[in-house]
Amino acid sequence: MTVAVFFPFLMAALAAWLGPRLGRRTGYVAAAAFLPALLLIPDLLRMPGAAPALEVTRWVPTLDLDLAFRGDGFSLLFAVLIGVIGTLASLYSVAYLSERERFGRFYSYLLLFGGSMLGLVLTDNLVALFGFWEMTSVTSFLLIGLWHTRSAARDGAVKAFLVSALGGLALLAAVALIALGGGSTSLSALDVGALRESAYFTPALLLTLLAAFTKSAQLPFHLWLPTAMEAPTPVSAFLHSATMVKAGVVLVAKFGLLFGGAALWSAIIVPVGLATLVWGSWLALRQTDLKALLAYSTVSQLGLLMSLYGLADAEGRFSATAHLLNHAAFKAALFFVVGIIDHETGTRELPLLGGLRRALPVTFAVALLAALSMAGLPPLGGFISKELFFEAMLHQGPLFIAVAVVGSALTFAYSLRLLRVFLGTPRAPAGAEPHEAPPGLTLPAAGLALTALAFGVLPGTAEALTRTAQSALNFADYDGYLSLWHGVTPALLATLLTWALGAVLVWQARGMETLGRRLTPRVNANTVYYGLTQTVNVFSSWLIARTQGLPLPDQLRIMLAAAALMGGYAVWRAPQVFYPFGELPLGVLPIAALLVAGAVGVLLSRGRLTAVIVTGLTGFGSAAAFLAFRAPDLALTQLLVEAVTVILFLLAFRYLPGVRDLPRTRWRYVFDVAVAGLAGVGITLLVLSSVRFLAPPISPYYLEYSYKGGGGKNVVNVLLVDFRGFDTLGEITVVGMVALAVLSLVRLGKPGRPRRAPDDTAELPARRRP
Amino acid sequence: MTRPPASTGREAPAPAPLTNDPILRSTSRAVFALVLLFAFLLLWRGHNAPGGGFIAGLMTACALVLHRIAYGFSALRLDPARLIPWGLALSFVTGLVPYLLGRPYLKSDYGYITTAVTGEFEWATALLFDVGVFLLVVGASLTIAYALTEVAPQETVEGDE
Repeated sequence: MTVAVFFPFLMAALAAWLGPRLGRRTGYVAAAAFLPALLLIPDLLRMPGAAPALEVTRWVPTLDLDLAFRGDGFSLLFAVLIGVIGTLASLYSVAYLSERERFGRFYSYLLLFGGSMLGLVLTDNLVALFGFWEMTSVTSFLLIGLWHTRSAARDGAVKAFLVSALGGLALLAAVALIALGGGSTSLSALDVGALRESAYFTPALLLTLLAAFTKSAQLPFHLWLPTAMEAPTPVSAFLHSATMVKAGVVLVAKFGLLFGGAALWSAIIVPVGLATLVWGSWLALRQTDLKALLAYSTVSQLGLLMSLYGLADAEGRFSATAHLLNHAAFKAALFFVVGIIDHETGTRELPLLGGLRRALPVTFAVALLAALSMAGLPPLGGFISKELFFEAMLHQGPLFIAVAVVGSALTFAYSLRLLRVFLGTPRAPAGAEPHEAPPGLTLPAAGLALTALAFGVLPGTAEALTRTAQSALNFADYDGYLSLWHGVTPALLATLLTWALGAVLVWQARGMETLGRRLTPRVNANTVYYGLTQTVNVFSSWLIARTQGLPLPDQLRIMLAAAALMGGYAVWRAPQVFYPFGELPLGVLPIAALLVAGAVGVLLSRGRLTAVIVTGLTGFGSAAAFLAFRAPDLALTQLLVEAVTVILFLLAFRYLPGVRDLPRTRWRYVFDVAVAGLAGVGITLLVLSSVRFLAPPISPYYLEYSYKGGGGKNVVNVLLVDFRGFDTLGEITVVGMVALAVLSLVRLGKPGRPRRAPDDTAELPARRRP
Repeated sequence: MTRPPASTGREAPAPAPLTNDPILRSTSRAVFALVLLFAFLLLWRGHNAPGGGFIAGLMTACALVLHRIAYGFSALRLDPARLIPWGLALSFVTGLVPYLLGRPYLKSDYGYITTAVTGEFEWATALLFDVGVFLLVVGASLTIAYALTEVAPQETVEGDE
């Protein structure tokens, strides 16, 4: 399992390197990255009986932080799902992407994303869970924004990231509370009883729900998912059917074992899930873009899954797992179909298309199977899991089943609406000559559609897969089963009602459209989102204008004055500043004089260049001081840093208006000298007062161990590369980032380099200033 | 002064040297070699005597900047910004190896080899880490220096007293 999680990360680096060299064939390499995930299949098949394997790699043992992966039935089921859809998506994109795509970037993002998702479902450590969760947010941001020159893609990526990052923060807090309450960061070793007793239980529950709802696009956080369709279609298929958006569902399923006992859990999730089901399918029915239709349909299906897992009983978990499988099969297939349509006709707009069944017979068959499974028609898998859903909701009460029927009727209607592109008179945009797509595109879709069919015709397959999760999700004693025909039950009657309602919706499509237009609320999640981001932008520019708008000299004066004040405060708080620290080494007095001379020299210098060079004097003086205190390493470093700084200063100053007198009034000059002098005195006092807190020196330890442990006679170097190597690594990272920041600052100021992409004129909606 | 796309991997030759000083030109060649040599010495002996990757990197950067000022083109035939990720990766991977072998992250190892030419001779994995630091520091300081040498001259500073 550890390999399955980390192999995609390794392959991502390889794909980034191979991308420019292999071009589209990098997709085969990417598909191979999911191989270890597929190798989990034998483990999965052994599952209902076998004990879950636990693989632990020590990470930071002192913080109870391990890379622990636990292969229980549910995790393995999901990991295999990710592996299968990931492989198919990689293969599909080989044929789908245009020749001009940056393959290295695309496939490495895809693999990073797949790896994070595998880690998320398999991990047993709460902290690692949070890490993988955030990694899916970041990588999906990169994937959605892949075509970043389009403003819609950037907007979608930012939106997805902001919403899911909000949930990520909630999850971090929830994870911390659970670990505190349950006494462990290991998910399987948590003391659930203690957690239930602790005061952290309810806050942790609510925070977990926030995380799950944002990730799985539940109301009112559904806004990010439809704009996430800006990602390339294979990515959408992966994202919607197997991975990212299901992360919230996974969280609810897994944490339902912790929180399921609380009444609050079901009382929040089930209504929210059902509301999302109805609202999402209502919005899906009104879309004209095929991909948007599918995106909203994902929102609604996630609502369904949420409401089932949220029931936190055996029946709900069984039905939800069954539907999870069906959904993955038909939704990925449908995204592939939309990709084919887009590929062949150049558009995804429903009104522009029609009668494609003649030109694309195979695609039509695939779409028919998948859409009918989504609509819940026999003999497909979707029918069976929908029956289970009705069964579960029937047990909850009349209101629940009523909402479920309405939501499913809408689902039925939009599924048929999707099929309209294949029916009627042939219609396609001018210039497009649709013909059957290459096998690279149709085969993955066909495979998934046939799976959807198999789940219906041979219910045993789906049931066996669902059963693997039984011990992990605690429905071992549930005696339900999957079957196409289980007699005339209330659930069947509900299905018939659903079909009738759905048929009316399809028949009265025009009427529904007018109704929909009339019902559109003026304020929706999107307007709230744009309002919020706009407000934040306005506020931050106001704040920057108020705080950062001062000229540089004034900012410096404020900083120096603050330093002086701090020194004064230190003296006031600790009057016994002059702590006896032994005899003054007289040898450093000349050096001190040099330093002071440098500082005064800066004040007296009348030109920029002189000022820079005299400033250098203080730096070289400090180097001399280090030498006097027998620290040659520091002195050498200081010397070189000083040399490089002076060179950089001079390079930067070449273009300033020449060497000239700095115009200053006498009053201001005196004021500046006073402020600078006070700041110097203040900082000196601050340092002196801190001498009181001197701990016993740590140098003897390093002197003793640097040669024994690190094999080097240069203590400073051993300290840097061994004892505190991690610090050094952090520091050089900062150095590198500073260099890149300077580079971008300087380059941004250059003429002729557009700072925004040319198509930026198509601005975001609701870009108005209050 | 636009740079060619980074994919060519070569530093753009600046239009003209920053200076035409003949004395600087004739001495810089010798000084350049000497400074580089000293920088590598610092890097090599850093484990046991004053020196190390950071200092050696700064010194190399000094030499290269000198070369750039004197001749107007970089002695380094690649974009220095490209050294940054490589240096970081080298340091990171060096630290990762002991971790994967079950020891603390970044724990260094050392030993002694005796060859006929050099006599007894110490090797330390810390040197690899230091080489990473060296590459990063060279890349970072050169990136900043080159960026500053390429500032378009029409820029003036306003509000400066």
